[in-house]
Amino acid sequence: MIWESWSAFWAMGGRGFYVWGSYGALAVGVIVELIALRRGRANALQSLRDNEHDA
Amino acid sequence: MARTEQQSNEKYSGRWFWRYASPATFYPLAGTLEKICWIIAAVLTVIGLYLGLLRAPVDAQQGEVYRVIFIHVPAAWMAMVLYMAMAFWCFTGLVLGTRLSFIMSHAIAPTGALMTVVALVTGSLWGRPAWGTYWVWDAKLTSFLILFFLYVGYMALAAAFDDKKKGDRASALIALVGAVNVPIIYFSTVWWNSLHQGPSVARAGGPSMAASMLAPMLILTFAFWAYCIAAVMHRVRTKIIERERDAAWLAEAVK
Amino acid sequence: MSLRRATGAVFRRELQLFAKRKSDWANPLVFFLIVCALFPFAVGSESERLKLMGIGVIFVGALLAAMLSLPRLFDEDSRDGSLELMLTSTEPLAMLILARVAALSLALGLALAAVTPLFAVFYSLPFDVSAMLALTVLMAVPTLLLIGAIAAALLVSARGGAILTAVLVLPLTIPTLIFGAGAALKVFYGESPVAELALQGAFMLLALALCPLAAAAALKISTD
Repeated sequence: MIWESWSAFWAMGGRGFYVWGSYGALAVGVIVELIALRRGRANALQSLRDNEHDA
Repeated sequence: MARTEQQSNEKYSGRWFWRYASPATFYPLAGTLEKICWIIAAVLTVIGLYLGLLRAPVDAQQGEVYRVIFIHVPAAWMAMVLYMAMAFWCFTGLVLGTRLSFIMSHAIAPTGALMTVVALVTGSLWGRPAWGTYWVWDAKLTSFLILFFLYVGYMALAAAFDDKKKGDRASALIALVGAVNVPIIYFSTVWWNSLHQGPSVARAGGPSMAASMLAPMLILTFAFWAYCIAAVMHRVRTKIIERERDAAWLAEAVK
Repeated sequence: MSLRRATGAVFRRELQLFAKRKSDWANPLVFFLIVCALFPFAVGSESERLKLMGIGVIFVGALLAAMLSLPRLFDEDSRDGSLELMLTSTEPLAMLILARVAALSLALGLALAAVTPLFAVFYSLPFDVSAMLALTVLMAVPTLLLIGAIAAALLVSARGGAILTAVLVLPLTIPTLIFGAGAALKVFYGESPVAELALQGAFMLLALALCPLAAAAALKISTD
């Protein structure tokens, strides 16, 4: 590790907002997509089951 | 119509991959591919983030904030690559008429749009401390904004049609029209003088970044590749379930 | 009927329709006027700022005004059946579309370019700038209509098609917008606009080569 301390790590040389904002944006985006993927699959399976019920 | 593997290969005269144009055959393959890629993505992400955030030294010119490059560049590459993949599947769908091609392109679009947004946001947050401004209307940034509009336009057009087949083909056409724009994005940093730094990896003389910085970036690039493939494969399977709902094989496959 | 006679007939018909139907040229012009007149109220009447904004406002206003006439490219004809005639004609559909777009570009482009110097007065722009602006508007309108023809063809008689057409088309016209307005800006600063003009011309030629074919394919898809 090249950081002297964890607080230096979070501070990122004073640019913490930009660095962690970026990584945070990526994390948010990925999480949103994963949730959307799960929801889409659940909906599809649900309507498939409804199809079977009616049929 | 049930066939043995040998009969199937004979039908397609040895070109075995044509079998995978059938949603029924592709569905399990997509599932396997998806699982493998989730694992690869997770592992490479951990390694890449470790190397990039905890191991790579500080940049002489930009200080610590350059570390955004480790996710900005992979996101930007994926945004462009996914659009070309999407356009490719639109093309094959229009030419061959295979419905799985359109399912692929519809599955790629949301992930591509996400990558574009991530590229824009990380690029903006990187630009402010590195070059003094959150946004500048130079060729490359502008082209990325246009790329986002192209993704959104594709999804909006596809959603505008009640007739799914018409919607598939109409949105495929607009995706191809937009694809003409994609090469302009890449070469724009070379063509026009702009605020954006020139390509520092794919240049003729070799990458101009230190190896300790290049390694995490390339590892995370592969991680993004794996993640996108996994997400797209998941969405393809979901769309197959939606569109092939009346097919006999589906009921068994989703158990 | 030979190709030349067919395209000539389509070209002439388009011009005649344009001249006869007041709304075809009046609406875009009035819209253009209103947009150009509106911005100073929002931005403040200080003339230095207006000069810089004026180039952009006028160019975007012209593009939006041209966008207004896109639905009429195919919607009317699909209603009265003349679209069917075009589709089943023995002449290549792309050429017929090109003839229509050419006629519309000529008529609408000239109209918009002609009034551009007038609206430039609102923004206290010097004459050489407004002349360049008129030229680049004249070059931008065909590009916009060519690209727009593809979207208009895809959305023939679709609900809310006008908005979606704009969403699809406007991003694709941004290069021509950058260089069109950029050329006028160069003149404003006393520099040479040759590069911008060349690039805007290049986009126009690219659109000319590719868009009629794409629009023909789009028309076949949406009227299937």
